[in-house]
Amino acid sequence: MFPTSTQKKHWMFKDEEDIANRRRETNRRFIDKHGAEMSEEKRAEFFLTPSEEKIVAQYYECHLRDFCKAFQPPMPKAVSGTASHYFKRFYMHNSVMDFHPKGILVTCVYLSCKVEEFNVSIGQFVANVKGDKEKATDIILNNELTVMHGVHYHLTVHTPFRPVEGLLIDIKTRCPSLQNPDRLRPIIDEFLEAVFFTDAVLLFAPSQIALAAILYAVSRVQENLDAYVTSELLASAARPQLQALVEAVRKIRLLVKTVEQPQRDVVKQLERKLDKCRNQENNPESQAYKRRMREMLEDDDDVPSYKVARVDSDS
Amino acid sequence: MKSSGTCPQCDVPLRRNGFRVQLFEDAGVEKDIDIRRRILREFNKQEEEFATLREYNDYLEDVETIIYNLVNGIDVLATNKKIEAYKRDNRESIVRNRARGRTEEDELDEILQMENELNEERAREEQERLQAEKRNKVQKKEALIDELMTSYGDAKKIVASHTKVAEPEAPVAPKPRPKPTQFSSGVRIGSTRLPAVPIVPQDEGEPFVYAAPELAMDGPAAPDSERLSADGYLSHIKRVGDAERAGGYAASLGCLRALQEGMAGLLFFPGADG
Repeated sequence: MFPTSTQKKHWMFKDEEDIANRRRETNRRFIDKHGAEMSEEKRAEFFLTPSEEKIVAQYYECHLRDFCKAFQPPMPKAVSGTASHYFKRFYMHNSVMDFHPKGILVTCVYLSCKVEEFNVSIGQFVANVKGDKEKATDIILNNELTVMHGVHYHLTVHTPFRPVEGLLIDIKTRCPSLQNPDRLRPIIDEFLEAVFFTDAVLLFAPSQIALAAILYAVSRVQENLDAYVTSELLASAARPQLQALVEAVRKIRLLVKTVEQPQRDVVKQLERKLDKCRNQENNPESQAYKRRMREMLEDDDDVPSYKVARVDSDS
Repeated sequence: MKSSGTCPQCDVPLRRNGFRVQLFEDAGVEKDIDIRRRILREFNKQEEEFATLREYNDYLEDVETIIYNLVNGIDVLATNKKIEAYKRDNRESIVRNRARGRTEEDELDEILQMENELNEERAREEQERLQAEKRNKVQKKEALIDELMTSYGDAKKIVASHTKVAEPEAPVAPKPRPKPTQFSSGVRIGSTRLPAVPIVPQDEGEPFVYAAPELAMDGPAAPDSERLSADGYLSHIKRVGDAERAGGYAASLGCLRALQEGMAGLLFFPGADG
């Protein structure tokens, strides 16, 4: 249930400004760490700005959607929804420059398959990835813990898909005047898909997003559910609460309306910049990454021999 | 070989597995022991069961008389009748005392076992001490020889100094840690019997009071499960197959979950309350 979830406790933000502030903070932290010896102008030129980071992330969210849609065997909507949540949550506290979204997005999907009980093996999974399968396997498995840590191990995600089903059942039961509510489904799905390109899932409860999607679909087919909402669904709610909900629904619809896909050429340019300024320790193709991995492996080897030495000196 | 037959002299039925090696020279003693064992299996009353010592002693005397009679073939018929009557009258107490007798034997066994362990421990310690001493001696001897070999001093002096050093050294063997023989609860390891004194339960705290869990909704309440079919909610969801029902699934479960999730959080506004 959403009201008792970590999603409500840790991943609901006050407003868009709140989210923007956090992203700025994340961006500043990365630049402070990796650009310590640079001048202010050089920094601005060399690193991505928060808004540029957002564009890159958005571009990869489109990728995530396409990847999930083309996935074989076809996956339930909740899997892609959860993956999208992970992706957004991860980049709240991690910079795009720290971890390249290319690797994180597939890892998010892989993790979400597990959490949503959509059972695919890693072999089956990487069959959907273009390019070198073995490398993809390595990247996914190496990043899995990073992603889990990045979402603070809050793995249960409440997506709007089930609330849509619940509200449709309720509408069919308590509002029989609406003809054939199932014809709304394609429009609802389209709306929800667009919702995941916005930050709405970090601002509103899944049921509110579901309600917004249904109301949007109803208005698209020239119907009206206002009577149902005010006198059936929320008959017990106080007036100001109802007002607030109406406002929330309006905001969700506005967010969806204003969503824009990032321009291809802009992203191309930003990616070139990103390739230079990204944290090389997390780039699997860089020397720094390989060195780090080797050191980690050697550390692992060192531990047992150290223990043996200690036992010897004790006896 | 036949496993049973009758005695050629007195026609008493004998069994092959009834025979055993004679322990005592006098067959009469052997017979006495056999009969005593058999009788005491039934006549197993304890002193506590009698009101006075006098009665208990009378009972013991009776038992002795019976045994004596049987051993010596006096009044066998009457005595056997007496035994039968006693068995009939005291069946319950016999069974009870047999069980108790066993626990007493167990306790004795345990004490014996403990003593054995103690003895073993002592023997082991002694042996270790001896070994350490031996080792010590060998070491000293080697040291002496080494010194004699390498030193240019007077051999007599060296020998004297070594014997002097050897004197005061008393072997201080490190006391080995005693093997754990009982659990922290006081039950001996390996013992299946509980200790005579039951473990007194510690402070258990406040007794549990059931309080119905409160469902946080942040929104309108979903219909409760009784109303689902009455209000017609169930007619709008997928039919549940027999296989699913056999697994414990009911249409109301999925329906209620969807409804609850659809309504939970509808009135949740993070901006409003910070």
